[in-house]
Amino acid sequence: MKYQSQLVAKPYFIAALALFFGQIVFGLIAGMQFLDGTFLFSAAHFNIVRMTHTNLLIVWLLMAFMGAAYYIVPEEAQTELYSPKLALITFWVFLIAAALTVVGYLLVPYAHLAAITGNAIVPTMGRGYLEQPLPTKIGIVLVALSLLFNVTMTLIKGRKTSINLILVGALWGLALLFLPSFYFPEDTVKASYSWWWIVHGWVEGDWELILGALLGFILIKMTGVDREIVEKWLYIIMAMVLISGLVGIGHHYYYIGAPAYWIWLGSIFSAMEPIPFMLLIAFAFKMLFQRRREHPNKAAMLWAMGTPIMAFLGAGLWGFMITLAPAQYYIHGTNFTAAHGHLAFFGAYAMVSMAIISYAMPMLRGREANSVRAQHWEIAGFWIMVLSMIGIALALTGAGLVTAYLQRSGADPLGFMQVQDRARVFFWGREIAGAGFFTGLLVYLRSFFIQGEYQYTAQVKRALAT
Amino acid sequence: MQEVFTKSMARNIFLGSAVFFLIIYLALTYDTWQQIPVRDHADKITASVIRGKYLVDTNDCIGCHTINGEGSYYAPELDNVYKRRGPEFIKLWIPAQPSGVAGRRQMPHFNFTPAQIDDIVAYLQWLSNVDTNHWPPNIEG
Amino acid sequence: MHNALTADPLQQSRGQPLPGDFAIWVFIFAELTVFGVLFAAYAFTRSAHVDLFNASQLTLNRAYGFANTLLLLTSSYFVARALRAIKTGRNKACGNWLAGALGLGALFLLLKLIEFHQDFARGITLSANLFYMFYLSLTFFHFMHVAMGMIILAVVAVKAYAGRYTADRHTGVETGGSYWHMVDLVWILLFALVYVIH
Repeated sequence: MKYQSQLVAKPYFIAALALFFGQIVFGLIAGMQFLDGTFLFSAAHFNIVRMTHTNLLIVWLLMAFMGAAYYIVPEEAQTELYSPKLALITFWVFLIAAALTVVGYLLVPYAHLAAITGNAIVPTMGRGYLEQPLPTKIGIVLVALSLLFNVTMTLIKGRKTSINLILVGALWGLALLFLPSFYFPEDTVKASYSWWWIVHGWVEGDWELILGALLGFILIKMTGVDREIVEKWLYIIMAMVLISGLVGIGHHYYYIGAPAYWIWLGSIFSAMEPIPFMLLIAFAFKMLFQRRREHPNKAAMLWAMGTPIMAFLGAGLWGFMITLAPAQYYIHGTNFTAAHGHLAFFGAYAMVSMAIISYAMPMLRGREANSVRAQHWEIAGFWIMVLSMIGIALALTGAGLVTAYLQRSGADPLGFMQVQDRARVFFWGREIAGAGFFTGLLVYLRSFFIQGEYQYTAQVKRALAT
Repeated sequence: MQEVFTKSMARNIFLGSAVFFLIIYLALTYDTWQQIPVRDHADKITASVIRGKYLVDTNDCIGCHTINGEGSYYAPELDNVYKRRGPEFIKLWIPAQPSGVAGRRQMPHFNFTPAQIDDIVAYLQWLSNVDTNHWPPNIEG
Repeated sequence: MHNALTADPLQQSRGQPLPGDFAIWVFIFAELTVFGVLFAAYAFTRSAHVDLFNASQLTLNRAYGFANTLLLLTSSYFVARALRAIKTGRNKACGNWLAGALGLGALFLLLKLIEFHQDFARGITLSANLFYMFYLSLTFFHFMHVAMGMIILAVVAVKAYAGRYTADRHTGVETGGSYWHMVDLVWILLFALVYVIH
């Protein structure tokens, strides 16, 4: 850590991991409700559990991205953050707003929450991922403005590296793309069409740029490879993201009421969406093989290498399986989509967040890398979480295929609830893999409580002895 | 030696593709915007349909159901439920929830007035006539 | 240039390098792939709806299409002349040839706009039928490429007039020229496939 103000990233990272923990707990409850429909029915109905699960995901990822921005921007700009105090105030505002929103979800019936928060004035509630009441949405905009002001001012007074320009630019994009959440037309088809500006715009566009910037930063720092090469690759990868992804948004428009030409345009362009992820893998491993130093933080390196691979699996491969119109005809709106969602969100965005946390947290705690023992715990957590998430994705894929075969095709299709019963074994598989994921998370979190730093001399002695 | 592929070149390609494809997307969106009201019979969006949609949104129906495949996969598709079950069934079904059958997924009780249920049914009827390129494949949704 | 750059795996070219900048070739191959997939989709769909495609094809204005083909072919020739000019160090001649190519490109856009206008007036839209969907998508996508190519050529022309190229160092001219030839090539394929072949 080179600049004192980078320390403001620490509370962001800690809160991100705490919210991540909450997200998994609600995920387990929701998974349980697939197995026992009356489980916690009166206390927290499935829709409430689900919105808490997904909203916590978004909030903890935003927390991690913000923490990453406050950590990276000063270091890249080679100057102190414009206002560490503002960053800290923003942190508390964001955390309290998120907490109040979750409390609102859990204690107040949703329709009542809508009534008391002025939803009738500007209707925004009741769309996936955007369930937040109006005050929370306004709060998100204010928090984003504060972040943008702070990092942009830092950037202006400091060195303008490509990593910084990409990161700050992508944060601006993130905030701008959130604005359509205040536009909720009465025409459901237009509402769906514009909802994807936010959701697709974030996860298949703008966030990929953030992912690229974070990964680029980590790789520059850990491998010592020349900055010019890293940044040039980043631009090419991001160009491919936009070439494939901008018109590729059409793969959401096949069956929601939009014109039929999207079936062709969406299929053709979104079929190229795995390409940037392949390039990302090639890029990360090239950098690894060309590294000019051995960084003691092996765990962070594992996260950084695992991210492009898992992102390719979840976003690239699983995304491709459902992207072509003929395939989507049968699996649109099934758990196959949920499989893709889980693997892609985890593989791309959760993992890149943990990569930057893994790299930066030891620095923020005053050491270059954690002790070998702490890293062993972290690496164990990595593998348990990654393998469990693959298990979750496979189970949900199975459940989705059951729907495709029994409910969507054949001469004598079964009804929804009958099909869900037939898919029960997959819901068990998902829940067991989910419990595995939770275990992995606990192992991962345990690593933060192991004190001590990486001992160079002890490691060298051991290496020489063997 | 030729000048080689420089960072500024890569950046220009990135910015160029951004603008290029944004223009294409905006042009397509403009066309789509003209087509949607025709395909979804926007002239049939009555005050009752709008009220029904507001109830569907503010009770987070898509937290369990899907509408045109979007939402959650905990409960059946609502796009064609009007055609699958018919209005009378829906009007009886909603107030009768939760079923209380042990282990079965439960739908909450929403305390709708009969007029509100009529609005919801009007919305579902409108929804069932949207041209979704022949999706879902069959009546089961 | 830099030592660091020689470590870049992207530019390990052996033997005779492709003319122009490597990045533009990555881009050109990516573009050709997209057009290739679009053409393949067109051919695939046509095989299932031959009558519809043939009937709709006849409604297109082939005179415009043919004129546009000539315009782009001539402009490609101008670009080739511009390259030859810069190879002998004649910056001003290079700029003039490029300006000529730009003028022809502008005529192409104008003619295509008139054609689009007439199409729309006749009720041809993306949703009219499958043929028109492909026709409009392909020609509009190509239209955007011509516009993009013109921006690139304009930058190159300005640099040529400013004397920024020499007989030895003129990657910019080759790069912009390669892109323009690609746009021309795609149009010829498009014209044959969409306007002519029955």
